[in-house]
Amino acid sequence: MLEKGIKELHDELKSKKITSDELVKESIKACHDIQEKTNSFVTIIDDATGTEVTDELLSGIPYGIKDIFSTKDILSTGSSNTLNNYVPFFDATCVANLKKHGAVGVAKTVLDELGMGGTGTTGHTGIVHNPWDLERQTAGSSAGSAASVAAGVYPYALGSDTGDSVRKPAGYCGIVGYKPTYGMISRYGMFQFASSLDTVGVLSRSVEDAAIAVDGMKGLDKHDMTTWDSSNIHLYESLNKDVKGKKLFYIKEICDIENYKNPSEELKEHLNNFKDTIKKCESIGISVEGVSIDRNLLNALYPTYMVIYGAEASSNMANLTGISFGPRGEGSTPDEMIKDHRTKGFSPLIKRRFVIGSFVLQRENQEKFFLNAKRVRRLIVNKMNSLFENYDGMLCPVGTGPAKYLDDSKNNHDKDTVVLEEILQIGNFGGYPSITIPNGFINNLPVGVNITGKVKDDVNVLNIAYALEDVMDYKNQIAREVK
Amino acid sequence: MSNFTEEMIDDYANKLLIGLTLEERKMIQQEFDDIEHSMELINKIDGIKDVEPQSYPFEMEITDLRSDDDVDEEIPIDILLRNAGSVEGREVEVPKVVG
Repeated sequence: MLEKGIKELHDELKSKKITSDELVKESIKACHDIQEKTNSFVTIIDDATGTEVTDELLSGIPYGIKDIFSTKDILSTGSSNTLNNYVPFFDATCVANLKKHGAVGVAKTVLDELGMGGTGTTGHTGIVHNPWDLERQTAGSSAGSAASVAAGVYPYALGSDTGDSVRKPAGYCGIVGYKPTYGMISRYGMFQFASSLDTVGVLSRSVEDAAIAVDGMKGLDKHDMTTWDSSNIHLYESLNKDVKGKKLFYIKEICDIENYKNPSEELKEHLNNFKDTIKKCESIGISVEGVSIDRNLLNALYPTYMVIYGAEASSNMANLTGISFGPRGEGSTPDEMIKDHRTKGFSPLIKRRFVIGSFVLQRENQEKFFLNAKRVRRLIVNKMNSLFENYDGMLCPVGTGPAKYLDDSKNNHDKDTVVLEEILQIGNFGGYPSITIPNGFINNLPVGVNITGKVKDDVNVLNIAYALEDVMDYKNQIAREVK
Repeated sequence: MSNFTEEMIDDYANKLLIGLTLEERKMIQQEFDDIEHSMELINKIDGIKDVEPQSYPFEMEITDLRSDDDVDEEIPIDILLRNAGSVEGREVEVPKVVG
Protein backbone atom coordinates (compact mmCIF):
# COMPACT_ATOMS: atom_id res chain seq x y z
CA MET A 1 0.00 0.00 0.00
CA LEU A 2 2.76 2.50 0.98
CA GLU A 3 4.36 2.21 -2.45
CA LYS A 4 1.40 4.16 -3.84
CA GLY A 5 1.32 7.88 -4.43
CA ILE A 6 -0.64 10.43 -2.39
CA LYS A 7 -3.65 10.57 -4.75
CA GLU A 8 -4.02 6.78 -4.83
CA LEU A 9 -3.65 6.52 -1.06
CA HIS A 10 -6.25 9.24 -0.65
CA ASP A 11 -8.67 7.27 -2.82
CA GLU A 12 -8.03 4.10 -0.78
CA LEU A 13 -8.69 6.02 2.45
CA LYS A 14 -11.84 7.70 1.11
CA SER A 15 -13.24 4.37 -0.09
CA LYS A 16 -12.41 2.91 3.33
CA LYS A 17 -10.23 0.12 1.91
CA ILE A 18 -7.82 1.11 4.65
CA THR A 19 -8.04 3.45 7.62
CA SER A 20 -5.57 6.21 8.42
CA ASP A 21 -4.62 4.38 11.62
CA GLU A 22 -3.81 1.22 9.68
CA LEU A 23 -1.78 3.17 7.12
CA VAL A 24 0.19 4.98 9.82
CA LYS A 25 0.91 1.71 11.65
CA GLU A 26 2.02 0.11 8.38
CA SER A 27 4.35 3.05 7.74
CA ILE A 28 5.87 2.91 11.25
CA LYS A 29 6.51 -0.82 10.85
CA ALA A 30 8.12 -0.20 7.44
CA CYS A 31 10.38 2.45 9.04
CA HIS A 32 11.56 -0.09 11.61
CA ASP A 33 12.07 -2.68 8.87
CA ILE A 34 14.54 -0.51 6.92
CA GLN A 35 16.29 1.14 9.89
CA GLU A 36 18.94 -1.52 10.43
CA LYS A 37 19.97 -1.53 6.76
CA THR A 38 19.75 2.18 5.97
CA ASN A 39 19.94 4.06 9.33
CA SER A 40 17.47 6.59 7.92
CA PHE A 41 15.93 7.72 11.21
CA VAL A 42 16.90 9.61 14.34
CA THR A 43 13.43 8.97 15.77
CA ILE A 44 10.56 6.77 14.66
CA ILE A 45 7.39 8.24 16.16
CA ASP A 46 5.89 4.98 17.41
CA ASP A 47 2.90 6.63 19.05
CA ALA A 48 1.78 8.49 15.91
CA THR A 49 -1.86 7.83 15.13
CA GLY A 50 -4.13 8.30 12.15
CA THR A 51 -6.17 11.43 11.50
CA GLU A 52 -9.62 12.11 10.12
CA VAL A 53 -9.76 11.58 6.37
CA THR A 54 -11.22 14.65 4.71
CA ASP A 55 -11.25 15.94 1.14
CA GLU A 56 -7.70 17.20 1.74
CA LEU A 57 -5.38 14.96 -0.29
CA LEU A 58 -2.78 14.84 2.48
CA SER A 59 -5.20 13.88 5.25
CA GLY A 60 -4.55 10.62 7.02
CA ILE A 61 -1.35 9.94 5.08
CA PRO A 62 2.04 9.40 6.79
CA TYR A 63 5.22 11.29 5.86
CA GLY A 64 8.80 11.78 7.08
CA ILE A 65 10.36 14.90 8.58
CA LYS A 66 14.02 15.79 8.24
CA ASP A 67 15.33 16.23 11.77
CA ILE A 68 16.32 19.80 10.94
CA PHE A 69 12.71 20.83 11.59
CA SER A 70 11.34 21.54 15.05
CA THR A 71 8.48 19.25 16.03
CA LYS A 72 6.43 19.95 19.11
CA ASP A 73 7.19 17.55 21.99
CA ILE A 74 9.31 15.36 19.70
CA LEU A 75 13.12 15.19 19.85
CA SER A 76 14.60 17.48 17.18
CA THR A 77 18.36 17.13 16.94
CA GLY A 78 19.60 18.52 13.62
CA SER A 79 21.63 15.28 13.72
CA SER A 80 24.04 17.16 15.99
CA ASN A 81 25.31 16.35 19.46
CA THR A 82 24.81 20.05 20.25
CA LEU A 83 21.05 19.41 20.12
CA ASN A 84 20.90 15.74 21.08
CA ASN A 85 18.38 16.35 23.90
CA TYR A 86 16.35 19.22 22.41
CA VAL A 87 12.56 18.84 22.52
CA PRO A 88 10.88 21.93 20.98
CA PHE A 89 7.66 23.40 22.34
CA PHE A 90 6.44 24.33 18.85
CA ASP A 91 6.18 22.96 15.32
CA ALA A 92 8.08 24.45 12.40
CA THR A 93 5.58 26.31 10.20
CA CYS A 94 5.83 23.80 7.36
CA VAL A 95 5.12 20.94 9.79
CA ALA A 96 2.24 22.88 11.36
CA ASN A 97 0.77 23.57 7.91
CA LEU A 98 0.91 19.89 6.97
CA LYS A 99 -0.71 19.03 10.30
CA LYS A 100 -3.57 21.42 9.48
CA HIS A 101 -4.09 19.44 6.26
CA GLY A 102 -4.28 16.21 8.28
CA ALA A 103 -0.84 14.80 7.36
CA VAL A 104 0.78 12.49 9.92
CA GLY A 105 4.51 12.72 10.66
CA VAL A 106 5.84 9.26 11.52
CA ALA A 107 9.61 9.69 11.60
CA LYS A 108 12.43 12.22 12.02
CA THR A 109 15.11 11.52 9.44
CA VAL A 110 18.91 11.68 9.67
CA LEU A 111 20.81 14.50 7.98
CA ASP A 112 24.38 15.65 7.69
CA GLU A 113 25.01 17.55 10.91
CA LEU A 114 22.85 20.72 10.86
CA GLY A 115 22.51 20.33 7.08
CA MET A 116 26.17 21.11 6.53
CA GLY A 117 27.31 18.23 4.36
CA GLY A 118 26.60 16.41 1.14
CA THR A 119 27.32 12.79 1.95
CA GLY A 120 24.83 11.59 4.57
CA THR A 121 27.76 10.44 6.69
CA THR A 122 28.07 13.12 9.40
CA GLY A 123 24.87 12.79 11.43
CA HIS A 124 25.38 12.10 15.14
CA THR A 125 23.51 8.78 14.89
CA GLY A 126 25.71 7.46 12.08
CA ILE A 127 25.96 6.96 8.34
CA VAL A 128 22.89 6.71 6.10
CA HIS A 129 23.10 3.92 3.49
CA ASN A 130 21.65 4.14 0.00
CA PRO A 131 18.75 1.68 -0.33
CA TRP A 132 19.78 0.88 -3.93
CA ASP A 133 23.22 -0.29 -2.75
CA LEU A 134 24.08 -0.22 0.92
CA GLU A 135 27.77 0.44 0.19
CA ARG A 136 26.88 3.72 -1.48
CA GLN A 137 26.13 7.21 -0.18
CA THR A 138 22.69 8.75 -0.34
CA ALA A 139 24.30 12.20 -0.73
CA GLY A 140 23.06 14.83 1.68
CA SER A 141 22.15 16.59 3.62
CA SER A 142 18.55 15.27 3.35
CA ALA A 143 19.95 11.74 3.50
CA GLY A 144 17.43 9.87 5.65
CA SER A 145 14.49 11.53 3.90
CA ALA A 146 15.79 10.45 0.49
CA ALA A 147 16.64 6.91 1.59
CA SER A 148 13.30 6.34 3.29
CA VAL A 149 11.19 7.71 0.42
CA ALA A 150 13.21 5.60 -2.05
CA ALA A 151 12.62 2.59 0.21
CA GLY A 152 8.87 3.16 0.01
CA VAL A 153 7.95 3.66 3.66
CA TYR A 154 5.80 6.72 2.90
CA PRO A 155 5.09 8.76 -0.23
CA TYR A 156 7.07 11.89 0.72
CA ALA A 157 9.39 13.44 3.27
CA LEU A 158 10.52 16.96 4.11
CA GLY A 159 13.99 18.12 3.18
CA SER A 160 15.94 21.36 3.21
CA ASP A 161 18.25 22.64 0.51
CA THR A 162 21.09 25.15 0.96
CA GLY A 163 23.34 23.99 -1.92
CA ASP A 164 21.68 20.92 -3.39
CA SER A 165 20.63 19.03 -0.24
CA VAL A 166 17.26 17.94 -1.62
CA ARG A 167 18.15 17.66 -5.29
CA LYS A 168 21.42 15.69 -5.09
CA PRO A 169 20.08 12.97 -2.72
CA ALA A 170 17.05 12.65 -5.00
CA GLY A 171 19.40 11.92 -7.90
CA TYR A 172 21.39 9.34 -5.94
CA CYS A 173 18.26 7.62 -4.63
CA GLY A 174 16.24 7.55 -7.87
CA ILE A 175 13.42 9.82 -6.67
CA VAL A 176 12.08 13.36 -7.08
CA GLY A 177 13.57 16.27 -5.12
CA TYR A 178 11.89 19.67 -5.40
CA LYS A 179 13.28 22.92 -4.03
CA PRO A 180 10.64 25.62 -4.55
CA THR A 181 11.41 29.30 -5.04
CA TYR A 182 13.13 30.83 -1.99
CA GLY A 183 10.52 32.03 0.49
CA MET A 184 7.62 30.03 -0.91
CA ILE A 185 7.72 27.89 2.25
CA SER A 186 8.48 29.41 5.64
CA ARG A 187 11.79 28.46 7.25
CA TYR A 188 10.51 29.22 10.76
CA GLY A 189 11.39 26.31 13.01
CA MET A 190 14.09 25.00 10.69
CA PHE A 191 17.59 25.08 12.18
CA GLN A 192 19.31 27.69 10.05
CA PHE A 193 22.49 26.99 8.09
CA ALA A 194 23.00 29.81 5.57
CA SER A 195 19.91 31.97 5.71
CA SER A 196 20.22 33.61 2.28
CA LEU A 197 20.34 30.15 0.66
CA ASP A 198 18.23 27.89 2.94
CA THR A 199 15.01 26.58 1.36
CA VAL A 200 12.46 24.03 2.53
CA GLY A 201 11.88 21.26 -0.02
CA VAL A 202 10.37 17.85 -0.48
CA LEU A 203 11.41 14.38 -1.60
CA SER A 204 8.84 12.12 -3.25
CA ARG A 205 8.52 9.45 -5.92
CA SER A 206 6.56 11.55 -8.41
CA VAL A 207 6.28 15.17 -9.48
CA GLU A 208 2.58 15.03 -8.63
CA ASP A 209 3.30 14.10 -5.01
CA ALA A 210 5.94 16.84 -4.73
CA ALA A 211 3.37 19.38 -5.95
CA ILE A 212 0.70 18.18 -3.51
CA ALA A 213 3.10 18.26 -0.56
CA VAL A 214 4.38 21.78 -1.29
CA ASP A 215 0.82 23.04 -1.78
CA GLY A 216 0.24 21.84 1.78
CA MET A 217 3.29 23.61 3.22
CA LYS A 218 3.64 26.93 1.44
CA GLY A 219 2.32 30.36 2.30
CA LEU A 220 3.03 33.63 4.06
CA ASP A 221 4.29 33.37 7.61
CA LYS A 222 4.66 36.31 9.95
CA HIS A 223 7.57 34.47 11.58
CA ASP A 224 9.63 34.47 8.36
CA MET A 225 9.90 37.83 6.62
CA THR A 226 11.27 36.21 3.45
CA THR A 227 8.00 34.40 2.75
CA TRP A 228 5.84 35.79 -0.05
CA ASP A 229 2.19 35.42 -0.97
CA SER A 230 1.76 32.38 -3.23
CA SER A 231 -1.98 32.00 -2.64
CA ASN A 232 -2.60 32.39 -6.38
CA ILE A 233 -0.28 29.46 -7.14
CA HIS A 234 -1.86 25.99 -7.09
CA LEU A 235 0.88 23.57 -8.01
CA TYR A 236 -1.10 20.33 -8.13
CA GLU A 237 -4.09 21.81 -9.95
CA SER A 238 -1.76 23.45 -12.47
CA LEU A 239 -0.05 20.23 -13.48
CA ASN A 240 -0.50 19.44 -17.16
CA LYS A 241 1.67 18.01 -19.85
CA ASP A 242 1.21 20.91 -22.22
CA VAL A 243 4.88 21.76 -22.72
CA LYS A 244 4.98 22.11 -26.48
CA GLY A 245 7.06 25.13 -27.44
CA LYS A 246 8.93 25.33 -24.13
CA LYS A 247 12.64 26.09 -24.34
CA LEU A 248 15.45 24.79 -22.13
CA PHE A 249 19.19 25.36 -22.19
CA TYR A 250 22.14 23.38 -20.90
CA ILE A 251 25.64 24.66 -20.10
CA LYS A 252 28.01 23.31 -22.75
CA GLU A 253 31.14 23.68 -20.60
CA ILE A 254 29.91 21.08 -18.11
CA CYS A 255 27.55 18.92 -20.18
CA ASP A 256 29.66 18.23 -23.29
CA ILE A 257 32.00 15.27 -22.77
CA GLU A 258 34.73 16.77 -24.96
CA ASN A 259 35.31 19.40 -22.28
CA TYR A 260 36.76 16.74 -19.93
CA LYS A 261 40.38 15.63 -20.37
CA ASN A 262 40.11 12.15 -18.85
CA PRO A 263 36.44 11.40 -18.25
CA SER A 264 35.55 8.29 -16.26
CA GLU A 265 33.33 5.66 -17.84
CA GLU A 266 30.57 6.66 -15.41
CA LEU A 267 30.78 10.30 -16.48
CA LYS A 268 30.65 9.30 -20.15
CA GLU A 269 27.55 7.19 -19.53
CA HIS A 270 25.97 9.92 -17.39
CA LEU A 271 26.41 12.56 -20.07
CA ASN A 272 25.30 10.15 -22.82
CA ASN A 273 22.20 9.44 -20.77
CA PHE A 274 21.70 13.20 -20.42
CA LYS A 275 21.79 13.53 -24.21
CA ASP A 276 19.11 10.82 -24.40
CA THR A 277 17.01 12.87 -21.98
CA ILE A 278 17.39 15.88 -24.28
CA LYS A 279 15.95 13.73 -27.10
CA LYS A 280 13.04 12.80 -24.83
CA CYS A 281 12.44 16.51 -24.19
CA GLU A 282 12.42 17.13 -27.92
CA SER A 283 9.98 14.25 -28.42
CA ILE A 284 7.39 16.14 -26.35
CA GLY A 285 7.95 19.47 -28.02
CA ILE A 286 10.56 21.04 -25.73
CA SER A 287 13.56 22.50 -27.54
CA VAL A 288 16.93 22.24 -25.80
CA GLU A 289 19.98 24.32 -26.76
CA GLY A 290 23.54 24.44 -25.46
CA VAL A 291 24.79 27.80 -24.20
CA SER A 292 28.22 28.94 -23.04
CA ILE A 293 29.00 30.58 -19.73
CA ASP A 294 32.35 32.19 -18.94
CA ARG A 295 34.62 29.47 -17.53
CA ASN A 296 36.04 31.80 -14.86
CA LEU A 297 32.52 32.47 -13.60
CA LEU A 298 31.75 28.74 -13.48
CA ASN A 299 35.02 28.01 -11.68
CA ALA A 300 34.15 30.65 -9.07
CA LEU A 301 30.80 28.99 -8.32
CA TYR A 302 31.89 26.56 -5.61
CA PRO A 303 34.34 28.92 -3.84
CA THR A 304 31.58 31.54 -3.79
CA TYR A 305 29.24 29.05 -2.18
CA MET A 306 31.91 28.03 0.32
CA VAL A 307 32.54 31.63 1.40
CA ILE A 308 28.86 32.57 1.68
CA TYR A 309 27.78 29.45 3.58
CA GLY A 310 30.82 29.65 5.84
CA ALA A 311 30.17 33.26 6.77
CA GLU A 312 26.45 32.81 7.30
CA ALA A 313 26.78 29.50 9.15
CA SER A 314 29.39 30.80 11.57
CA SER A 315 27.08 33.72 12.42
CA ASN A 316 23.96 31.56 12.65
CA MET A 317 25.52 29.14 15.13
CA ALA A 318 25.66 31.89 17.76
CA ASN A 319 22.51 30.48 19.39
CA LEU A 320 24.09 27.06 19.92
CA THR A 321 25.36 27.71 23.43
CA GLY A 322 24.12 24.74 25.42
CA ILE A 323 22.63 27.20 27.91
CA SER A 324 19.00 27.78 26.93
CA PHE A 325 18.82 24.43 25.12
CA GLY A 326 21.17 21.62 24.16
CA PRO A 327 23.47 19.70 26.52
CA ARG A 328 25.32 21.93 28.98
CA GLY A 329 29.08 22.27 28.73
CA GLU A 330 31.35 22.46 31.74
CA GLY A 331 33.12 25.62 32.86
CA SER A 332 33.29 28.34 35.45
CA THR A 333 32.07 31.11 33.11
CA PRO A 334 29.37 31.16 30.39
CA ASP A 335 32.09 31.48 27.71
CA GLU A 336 33.86 28.39 29.01
CA MET A 337 30.58 26.49 29.10
CA ILE A 338 29.73 27.50 25.53
CA LYS A 339 33.18 26.54 24.29
CA ASP A 340 33.01 23.17 25.98
CA HIS A 341 29.52 22.58 24.54
CA ARG A 342 30.67 23.37 21.00
CA THR A 343 34.04 21.64 21.25
CA LYS A 344 32.43 18.38 22.38
CA GLY A 345 29.24 18.74 20.35
CA PHE A 346 30.41 19.55 16.82
CA SER A 347 31.95 16.89 14.61
CA PRO A 348 35.34 17.60 12.96
CA LEU A 349 33.82 18.29 9.53
CA ILE A 350 31.40 20.91 10.77
CA LYS A 351 34.15 22.58 12.79
CA ARG A 352 36.08 22.84 9.53
CA ARG A 353 33.14 24.68 7.92
CA PHE A 354 32.88 27.09 10.83
CA VAL A 355 36.60 27.80 10.74
CA ILE A 356 36.31 28.64 7.03
CA GLY A 357 33.54 31.07 7.96
CA SER A 358 35.63 32.64 10.68
CA PHE A 359 38.54 32.99 8.24
CA VAL A 360 36.54 34.81 5.55
CA LEU A 361 35.04 37.14 8.14
CA GLN A 362 38.43 38.28 9.51
CA ARG A 363 38.71 42.00 8.95
CA GLU A 364 41.56 41.60 6.46
CA ASN A 365 39.59 39.02 4.43
CA GLN A 366 36.14 40.57 4.28
CA GLU A 367 36.67 42.59 1.10
CA LYS A 368 38.82 40.00 -0.65
CA PHE A 369 36.66 36.98 0.06
CA PHE A 370 33.28 37.73 1.62
CA LEU A 371 32.27 40.82 -0.37
CA ASN A 372 33.82 39.53 -3.58
CA ALA A 373 31.91 36.27 -3.18
CA LYS A 374 28.68 38.25 -2.91
CA ARG A 375 29.71 40.16 -6.05
CA VAL A 376 30.25 36.89 -7.93
CA ARG A 377 26.84 35.80 -6.68
CA ARG A 378 25.33 38.82 -8.43
CA LEU A 379 27.18 38.09 -11.68
CA ILE A 380 26.01 34.47 -11.67
CA VAL A 381 22.41 35.44 -10.86
CA ASN A 382 22.45 38.18 -13.52
CA LYS A 383 23.70 35.68 -16.09
CA MET A 384 21.01 33.16 -15.19
CA ASN A 385 18.28 35.81 -15.17
CA SER A 386 19.33 36.96 -18.64
CA LEU A 387 19.15 33.36 -19.89
CA PHE A 388 15.72 32.93 -18.31
CA GLU A 389 14.48 35.84 -20.43
CA ASN A 390 14.82 33.53 -23.44
CA TYR A 391 14.40 30.09 -21.90
CA ASP A 392 11.91 28.41 -19.56
CA GLY A 393 14.67 26.73 -17.63
CA MET A 394 18.05 25.04 -17.42
CA LEU A 395 18.43 21.30 -17.90
CA CYS A 396 21.35 19.72 -16.09
CA PRO A 397 22.66 16.29 -15.13
CA VAL A 398 22.67 15.73 -11.35
CA GLY A 399 26.22 15.19 -10.16
CA THR A 400 28.79 13.28 -12.18
CA GLY A 401 27.09 9.89 -12.15
CA PRO A 402 25.37 7.54 -9.72
CA ALA A 403 25.84 7.53 -5.94
CA LYS A 404 29.41 7.61 -4.70
CA TYR A 405 30.85 4.88 -2.48
CA LEU A 406 30.80 5.32 1.29
CA ASP A 407 34.44 4.18 1.18
CA ASP A 408 35.88 7.35 -0.35
CA SER A 409 39.03 5.58 -1.56
CA LYS A 410 36.86 3.90 -4.23
CA ASN A 411 35.59 7.22 -5.58
CA ASN A 412 36.90 9.18 -8.56
CA HIS A 413 38.31 12.59 -7.53
CA ASP A 414 38.62 14.35 -10.89
CA LYS A 415 39.11 18.10 -10.34
CA ASP A 416 37.69 18.76 -13.82
CA THR A 417 34.25 17.68 -12.58
CA VAL A 418 33.97 20.07 -9.61
CA VAL A 419 31.72 22.54 -11.44
CA LEU A 420 29.34 19.83 -12.65
CA GLU A 421 29.28 18.34 -9.15
CA GLU A 422 28.37 21.69 -7.59
CA ILE A 423 26.32 23.39 -10.33
CA LEU A 424 22.97 23.02 -8.54
CA GLN A 425 24.12 25.68 -6.05
CA ILE A 426 23.07 28.18 -8.73
CA GLY A 427 19.51 27.38 -7.69
CA ASN A 428 20.23 28.72 -4.19
CA PHE A 429 22.19 31.78 -5.31
CA GLY A 430 19.15 33.02 -7.25
CA GLY A 431 16.42 31.37 -5.15
CA TYR A 432 15.20 29.56 -8.26
CA PRO A 433 12.66 26.73 -8.31
CA SER A 434 14.59 23.57 -9.08
CA ILE A 435 13.56 19.93 -9.35
CA THR A 436 15.43 16.66 -9.82
CA ILE A 437 13.74 13.65 -11.38
CA PRO A 438 15.23 10.20 -12.08
CA ASN A 439 16.35 9.77 -15.71
CA GLY A 440 18.03 6.38 -15.92
CA PHE A 441 20.43 3.82 -14.48
CA ILE A 442 24.19 3.45 -14.64
CA ASN A 443 25.75 0.25 -13.23
CA ASN A 444 22.30 -0.65 -11.87
CA LEU A 445 22.17 2.57 -9.85
CA PRO A 446 19.77 5.45 -10.49
CA VAL A 447 20.85 8.83 -11.86
CA GLY A 448 18.94 12.08 -12.10
CA VAL A 449 18.37 15.16 -14.21
CA ASN A 450 17.50 18.62 -12.93
CA ILE A 451 15.33 21.43 -14.23
CA THR A 452 15.84 24.92 -12.78
CA GLY A 453 13.66 27.87 -13.78
CA LYS A 454 13.04 31.50 -13.03
CA VAL A 455 11.95 32.88 -9.66
CA LYS A 456 8.29 32.20 -8.80
CA ASP A 457 7.83 30.23 -12.04
CA ASP A 458 7.41 26.99 -10.12
CA VAL A 459 4.35 25.93 -12.09
CA ASN A 460 6.28 26.02 -15.36
CA VAL A 461 9.24 24.12 -13.90
CA LEU A 462 7.00 21.45 -12.39
CA ASN A 463 5.06 21.04 -15.62
CA ILE A 464 8.22 20.44 -17.63
CA ALA A 465 9.31 17.86 -15.04
CA TYR A 466 5.82 16.32 -15.03
CA ALA A 467 5.75 15.91 -18.80
CA LEU A 468 9.32 14.60 -18.96
CA GLU A 469 8.68 12.13 -16.13
CA ASP A 470 5.77 10.77 -18.15
CA VAL A 471 7.95 9.77 -21.11
CA MET A 472 10.52 8.01 -18.93
CA ASP A 473 10.15 4.80 -16.92
CA TYR A 474 11.25 5.83 -13.44
CA LYS A 475 8.18 7.28 -11.76
CA ASN A 476 7.24 5.71 -8.41
CA GLN A 477 10.19 3.32 -8.40
CA ILE A 478 11.21 1.65 -5.12
CA ALA A 479 14.81 0.87 -4.22
CA ARG A 480 15.91 -2.67 -4.89
CA GLU A 481 17.97 -3.52 -1.76
CA VAL A 482 15.07 -3.06 0.62
CA LYS A 483 12.14 -3.84 -1.66
CA MET B 1 55.32 26.03 3.43
CA SER B 2 51.75 26.70 4.55
CA ASN B 3 50.34 30.22 4.74
CA PHE B 4 48.56 29.10 7.89
CA THR B 5 50.14 28.39 11.26
CA GLU B 6 48.53 26.30 13.99
CA GLU B 7 48.09 29.51 15.96
CA MET B 8 46.10 31.10 13.11
CA ILE B 9 43.77 28.10 12.82
CA ASP B 10 43.26 28.06 16.60
CA ASP B 11 42.55 31.80 16.56
CA TYR B 12 39.83 31.44 13.88
CA ALA B 13 38.20 28.66 15.92
CA ASN B 14 38.59 30.44 19.26
CA LYS B 15 36.75 33.48 17.95
CA LEU B 16 33.72 31.20 17.55
CA LEU B 17 34.31 29.62 20.98
CA ILE B 18 35.21 26.31 19.33
CA GLY B 19 38.12 24.22 20.55
CA LEU B 20 40.03 21.93 18.19
CA THR B 21 41.76 18.67 19.01
CA LEU B 22 45.28 18.16 17.68
CA GLU B 23 43.93 15.98 14.87
CA GLU B 24 41.23 18.48 13.93
CA ARG B 25 43.70 21.35 13.86
CA LYS B 26 46.08 19.33 11.72
CA MET B 27 43.31 18.33 9.28
CA ILE B 28 42.11 21.92 8.87
CA GLN B 29 45.63 23.34 8.57
CA GLN B 30 46.49 20.81 5.83
CA GLU B 31 43.37 21.75 3.87
CA PHE B 32 43.54 25.49 4.31
CA ASP B 33 46.09 26.24 1.60
CA ASP B 34 43.87 24.42 -0.90
CA ILE B 35 40.81 26.24 0.43
CA GLU B 36 42.48 29.64 0.10
CA HIS B 37 43.73 28.73 -3.39
CA SER B 38 40.19 27.76 -4.37
CA MET B 39 38.79 30.98 -2.93
CA GLU B 40 41.27 32.99 -5.00
CA LEU B 41 39.22 31.94 -8.07
CA ILE B 42 36.66 34.49 -6.88
CA ASN B 43 39.17 37.28 -7.44
CA LYS B 44 39.95 36.20 -11.01
CA ILE B 45 36.68 37.60 -12.36
CA ASP B 46 37.23 40.68 -14.52
CA GLY B 47 35.85 43.90 -13.06
CA ILE B 48 34.72 42.22 -9.86
CA LYS B 49 35.29 45.36 -7.78
CA ASP B 50 32.68 47.29 -9.78
CA VAL B 51 29.86 44.88 -8.97
CA GLU B 52 27.36 45.55 -6.18
CA PRO B 53 27.47 42.67 -3.64
CA GLN B 54 24.29 40.55 -3.56
CA SER B 55 23.19 39.32 -0.15
CA TYR B 56 19.81 37.76 -1.00
CA PRO B 57 18.53 35.70 -3.95
CA PHE B 58 16.24 38.42 -5.29
CA GLU B 59 14.78 41.76 -4.33
CA MET B 60 12.21 41.33 -1.59
CA GLU B 61 10.05 44.32 -0.79
CA ILE B 62 8.82 44.02 2.77
CA THR B 63 5.99 46.50 3.22
CA ASP B 64 3.75 44.83 5.77
CA LEU B 65 3.92 46.34 9.21
CA ARG B 66 2.65 44.18 12.02
CA SER B 67 -0.30 45.51 13.92
CA ASP B 68 0.27 46.35 17.58
CA ASP B 69 -2.88 44.34 18.29
CA ASP B 70 -1.41 41.19 16.78
CA VAL B 71 -0.41 39.47 20.00
CA ASP B 72 0.71 35.86 20.10
CA GLU B 73 -0.59 33.43 22.65
CA GLU B 74 1.64 33.45 25.71
CA ILE B 75 3.72 30.33 26.26
CA PRO B 76 3.98 29.21 29.90
CA ILE B 77 7.41 29.87 31.37
CA ASP B 78 7.93 26.28 32.52
CA ILE B 79 7.57 25.11 28.91
CA LEU B 80 10.01 27.76 27.67
CA LEU B 81 12.54 26.71 30.29
CA ARG B 82 12.24 22.96 29.92
CA ASN B 83 15.26 22.61 27.60
CA ALA B 84 17.55 24.72 29.77
CA GLY B 85 20.09 22.64 31.70
CA SER B 86 19.82 24.67 34.90
CA VAL B 87 17.00 26.90 36.06
CA GLU B 88 16.31 29.04 39.12
CA GLY B 89 12.71 30.20 39.38
CA ARG B 90 11.85 31.97 36.12
CA GLU B 91 15.50 32.36 35.06
CA VAL B 92 18.06 30.28 33.19
CA GLU B 93 20.96 29.81 35.59
CA VAL B 94 24.58 30.46 34.53
CA PRO B 95 27.78 30.93 36.55
CA LYS B 96 28.14 34.32 38.20
CA VAL B 97 30.29 36.64 36.06
CA VAL B 98 30.34 39.91 38.06
CA GLY B 99 31.53 40.76 41.56
